[in-house]
Amino acid sequence: MINVDDLIDQTTGAQRRVIYADQAIYEQELERIFGRCWLFLAHESQVPNPGDFFRTYMGEDEVVVVRQDDRSIKVFLNTCTHRGNRLTRADRGNTRAFSCNYHGWAFGIDGNLATVPLESEVYFNEIDKDQFRLVPVEQVDSYHGLIFGCFDKDAPSLADYLGDMRWYLDVALDAMPGGTELLGATQKVIIHSNWKLSVENVCGDGYHLGWSHGGALKATQSGDFSGFTVGNSNVNLEGGMSVAGLNGNSVLATLDGVSGYAFYPNPTLALKYLSENRAKAVERLGKLRGEKLWGSQLNLTVFPSLQFLPGLNWFRVYHPKGPGKIEMWTWAIAEKAMPDELKQQILDNELLTFGPAGLFDNDDGDNLSACTVQSRGWRTRQMPVFTNMALGRSGKRVGLPGDIASGVVSEHNQRYFYRRWQEHMQAKDWSEVPQYNLNPLEAKDEQRTVQAA
Amino acid sequence: MNSALSKPLEVPVMLAIDKHLALQQQVFFEARLLDDERYNDWLGLIDEDIRYRMPMTERRFRKDRSAPLAFGGGYIFDENKGRLTMRVDRLQSGLVWAEDPRNNVRRIISNVEIWQGAEANEAEVYSIVTIHRSRIDGEEKRFVAGRRDIWRETAQGWRLALRELKLDNDVVLDSNMNTLF
Repeated sequence: MINVDDLIDQTTGAQRRVIYADQAIYEQELERIFGRCWLFLAHESQVPNPGDFFRTYMGEDEVVVVRQDDRSIKVFLNTCTHRGNRLTRADRGNTRAFSCNYHGWAFGIDGNLATVPLESEVYFNEIDKDQFRLVPVEQVDSYHGLIFGCFDKDAPSLADYLGDMRWYLDVALDAMPGGTELLGATQKVIIHSNWKLSVENVCGDGYHLGWSHGGALKATQSGDFSGFTVGNSNVNLEGGMSVAGLNGNSVLATLDGVSGYAFYPNPTLALKYLSENRAKAVERLGKLRGEKLWGSQLNLTVFPSLQFLPGLNWFRVYHPKGPGKIEMWTWAIAEKAMPDELKQQILDNELLTFGPAGLFDNDDGDNLSACTVQSRGWRTRQMPVFTNMALGRSGKRVGLPGDIASGVVSEHNQRYFYRRWQEHMQAKDWSEVPQYNLNPLEAKDEQRTVQAA
Repeated sequence: MNSALSKPLEVPVMLAIDKHLALQQQVFFEARLLDDERYNDWLGLIDEDIRYRMPMTERRFRKDRSAPLAFGGGYIFDENKGRLTMRVDRLQSGLVWAEDPRNNVRRIISNVEIWQGAEANEAEVYSIVTIHRSRIDGEEKRFVAGRRDIWRETAQGWRLALRELKLDNDVVLDSNMNTLF
């Protein structure tokens, strides 16, 4: 095992660049992060009916998510237990059985080996089919429609894993009755980036917005976004916050209740929906979340590789493919209660901004690829890179869980992301992984905030 | 695979040879305008009511029984003239750092079929576009897409009224699509 004690320095906000380049470190990530953490698999809305399946990845392991006849969800390695061929080759679909292309073994949607061709003639009826069931993922659970899987039977429950992050997630997932749904086909893009660089770009890096995306801002911006201007010449730190210290999960948020839709060329429909439903959101989430967070731009990150942005309305998971490559999967996310016309507009605007030809996304890919490839240089990889902005300038805010820094421009969340990465990479199993939900919410806090606001 | 783009007329009718040649020249000229980043000239060839669309694709079994997506798969490009202009404005903003220094881009247009369209002044044009991009150092990227166009003859010449694209990559193999097909 590689000792990562010196690769991340929390006191200076530095990371050694070898973590973006080294194959052995990557193998350790597959085991200690992707093999241990809860990973997003699919949204319930993607597998609504018995027999519906969805093919995805956990780290580099290919899995298939299947809705059972009793409506529960099972997840299996997408691999035949006989000679190891890939089982289903479709992205999704509906089926009663998974048949292997190689020798024709067929498995029921519950994972049972149902049919072995020539079972009596060549296996002499001696095969114990129970031994050859599809390999199930150890833990499967869902949170407000998001299905997660975990390879580690000793991992904490999904609820504990998410911890107080749930308080923020609920703004996106439970503000309206019916929850959310994902829209559109899976948008798949290969980026030659280390997976951590893609996550940190979204989990906390508001700094790049005005500069990297200057051209896109100029083309699409219709409203104020935390005082941002093209060319990074202005920002209003009071207009947002960076929230971390929640077991590696984090939130970047504006606080005006509308600026999630600042990058819709025409946000009329969305703003109408927000104003018509504000009272309901406040009723369900309380005044603070209902007024200040619902409708705001939120960058929500569930460690290690799920990110979604209500407002811009993209929902994304990164599948690592080696230290220098990811497959990035994106959908649009909408509240089920939204009118159809708004949902269609959300799908369209998500693709316009963050789809494969997205005006914003097409700025990020080259930066992140270049950060990755630079780290391969023998001399370069010995150097640190820094997330030291606003170091030490965070604290507690009444009524809000987590350790919080002002503004959507700080490198506060990235530091916590790398801290969590280091903690997992150091720990031999879950018993050594520290659990922390800093500044936990107490019932009286929430009440006080509601009264004060 | 390309069934969405393969809808030949029941009885395909060719254009008069001079019109056929003029439109074929136009299709190649259009590609050269884009290669040369003459975006405003390119917009001049685009009709006001253009639909320019590239749907998302998925790998599904031929006999897939699952319900269709409620709001469709979505479109990588679903553009009218205003949106194409928005994309051009971004590319010309001077703020798209990935395009500076400029990348060498060539479009190879092949398998061009030109047929009489549904209206007297329209032509239906099928083609394949390969976009070859030579980017930093040894990086070479390629997109291949099928195209079904409707070109409309106006007093100013042929204008593009519809472009339906089918990208052949279900997984996009490049970090950006700062390009037009």
